[in-house]
Amino acid sequence: MPEPADAASAGSPARRAAPRIVGQVAGRLRFVALFAVLAVLPYLLSYSQQEIAVLLVINVLLVSSYRLLTLTGEWSLGHVVIMGVGAYASALLAKRLGVPVPLSMLIGACMAAGTAAILSFPLFRMKGFYFLIGSFAAGEIIRLIWKRFTDPFGGPKGLKRIDAVPDIETGFLSIDFYEPVNYYFLALAVVSVSLFVLYRIERSRIGLTFHAIHWQDRLAESVGVDTFRYRTLAFVIASFFAGIAGGLYAHYVGAVNPTRFGVDQMVYVLVWAIVGGTATFHGPILGVVVLTVINEIVLRGLGLDTARPLIYGAILILSVLYLPDGLESLGPRLRAWLRRRRREPAAAAGGEGGEAA
Amino acid sequence: MRKTLDRKLSRRKFLGTTAASGAALAATGTGLSRVSFAAADTIKIGFLAPFTGPVAAWGKPGYDGCLIWADWVNAKGGVKIGGKSHKIEFVGYDNEYDAGKARTGATKLIKEDGVKFIMMLGGDTWPGVEKIAAREGMLFSTLLPSDLSPDTKTLVAPCEVHPIYNVTGVEWLAENKKNLKTAAICAQDDALGKPSVATYLAAFEAAGIKMVDAPLFFDPATTDFAPVMTKLLAKKPDILCLDTCYADYVHPLCEQAFQQGYKGQIISCTADFYQKIVEKTSKDFMEGFVFQFPDFDDPALNAKEVNFVKPNEFYTEYAKRFGAKEWSAVSWEYASIMDLWADAAAKAGSAEPGPVLKAMKAGGTGKHAFGDAKWWGKELFGIDNALVGNWPVVVIEGGKAKIKAFKSIPAWWDKHSKLMIKHMTALGQMWNQR
Repeated sequence: MPEPADAASAGSPARRAAPRIVGQVAGRLRFVALFAVLAVLPYLLSYSQQEIAVLLVINVLLVSSYRLLTLTGEWSLGHVVIMGVGAYASALLAKRLGVPVPLSMLIGACMAAGTAAILSFPLFRMKGFYFLIGSFAAGEIIRLIWKRFTDPFGGPKGLKRIDAVPDIETGFLSIDFYEPVNYYFLALAVVSVSLFVLYRIERSRIGLTFHAIHWQDRLAESVGVDTFRYRTLAFVIASFFAGIAGGLYAHYVGAVNPTRFGVDQMVYVLVWAIVGGTATFHGPILGVVVLTVINEIVLRGLGLDTARPLIYGAILILSVLYLPDGLESLGPRLRAWLRRRRREPAAAAGGEGGEAA
Repeated sequence: MRKTLDRKLSRRKFLGTTAASGAALAATGTGLSRVSFAAADTIKIGFLAPFTGPVAAWGKPGYDGCLIWADWVNAKGGVKIGGKSHKIEFVGYDNEYDAGKARTGATKLIKEDGVKFIMMLGGDTWPGVEKIAAREGMLFSTLLPSDLSPDTKTLVAPCEVHPIYNVTGVEWLAENKKNLKTAAICAQDDALGKPSVATYLAAFEAAGIKMVDAPLFFDPATTDFAPVMTKLLAKKPDILCLDTCYADYVHPLCEQAFQQGYKGQIISCTADFYQKIVEKTSKDFMEGFVFQFPDFDDPALNAKEVNFVKPNEFYTEYAKRFGAKEWSAVSWEYASIMDLWADAAAKAGSAEPGPVLKAMKAGGTGKHAFGDAKWWGKELFGIDNALVGNWPVVVIEGGKAKIKAFKSIPAWWDKHSKLMIKHMTALGQMWNQR
């Protein structure tokens, strides 16, 4: 039985706050460790793997922005086209009007967000499956516009020789963004800031409202939540960051065309989200990282280039069958299993002790 | 408990079966094989093309053809360069017809595999590679010369000068079937379809054949070709022109023409896997179908002007390894580019891209697969990096492709270049418009 003084100190605010502080410190240490790994990573990769890493970082932003939209319960088939709006807008601004590339990326992202705002009027009259098909149709209309109007969109061939991110040349520092390692760090910085903003939005009151609309939209409406406005807001924010991803892609590869933003690419985004899981912030990121590494490094390394679509499909089926909650559920499952393992011998020992007594 | 155990076992079995299937796939060569030799005596050649996806038919069969080429050359001791024999090894990379993946593939092939030459299909993938080619000075080849521009100094189109050779088919039709007076044309609305339409329009105009309607451009995502064909046939053209459509479009378009009772002349750039079209329609329907890509078992390819090495044996070997029905327009093309590269490397005494390019273009002429040809293209592409000469006109007779004639592209160009430039300009396909 504890002494009265001990009991008082155990219940003090300082004592109660201690585990929380430890948790926060541990969380921050995990972040520092993650950034340390990400900083060292390109130097452990081959040149072509650095190229893959650049595209992977861009896709992380794409799929994370897609998740924000899914928070409201709507799954779109037009997200990659919205990425394309950002890419085309940024490319045209830089190529035709000479707008500096970083600024053109930002304006391109705003145009992607603006496009989403306009599309939200017809699209959010629909829900569920109808929204899915409506978003696909809207995306196809945008792609047809790119194809039809050779001036300024370049028609089916798209735009090429898009201005690259300008190199940094100072007396003591020279950064050539053609080199994948340099572009990787640029993309990583942009994507990290974007992910932080997306994370804060999700954790804010707005994010909680998105969740509420997903699970109980009628109830949310009954307490005064304007679901149309919040759905539009999620769509616009997600599109802004998809537009950023588009700008990063266009100014790295130097070419965009309507096929690049077609439904095939959208299927990949869906697969990343489904395999990773969308219940947590890190689920889709896990999906895109694991599947890209398997698809672009492991399978190619094994010389299975032509069998990749087959194996990719098998992975999707297996994950839906055996990991319906996505890769993100692996951690909690593993922790639960370990807890059970720890408890079982203890319970067995307790039982034996009891019998002996 | 029993139920759980059963479930675990069946899951394990399922996963095991899947893993075994993957391993079997790898073992049976579904992947891209590499034949390895002593590293010092081996020259690596990059193959950067779509192996999967909708455009795979113009990548993978070409890679298969190259493997035969390499086996034959290596069996003879390799390519003799600077007095020393070198084996040839192909390193493939599936770019999925995506510019970003083409960029990754090109850097891998150049910086990690150390290839000396890279063959590409080109098109949508070239813009992703263009900067690397310029920076690294790497020699690239394309099958689509619309990639050429004055800036693409290390890019050559040494085999297929698409779509210019399409003029030969129309010219042959006009000479041999004088009763054909009108034509209708359709194409997918993309980078391959548009310049080809411009070429056919120029060729029809030169031949005095009138178009019954404006070209019909359909969306590449089209899957129902019934309305396309109905519109094409509405004005009863004598000639139905299928332009340079992908195999996925040529087949359903032919089926639709057959089902809608069309009995007139058909001309197309390609008729890949045409045996399957014959099976889906009929021999009678396909009789007289004109296109531009021969089967290499054709005796006409044994003419002494033809530079492709042992074409009939090549076809036999291809059919033996992969099946005759898998023969496509590109099965021989990349291999023929390798003939030209090996010849240039031997002349240069080096496999380095710079000297090989110089030797390849020396004298302004080269040995094209279908005969001696000249480096050309300044007016159309802004650079003389396309090797152009004779091209075969192929007609299906009794369900089998047969070469009817070899016709000269430069001869047609000398007479009708203004027409070509007019139509290319109208569709925005000149190099300075792209």
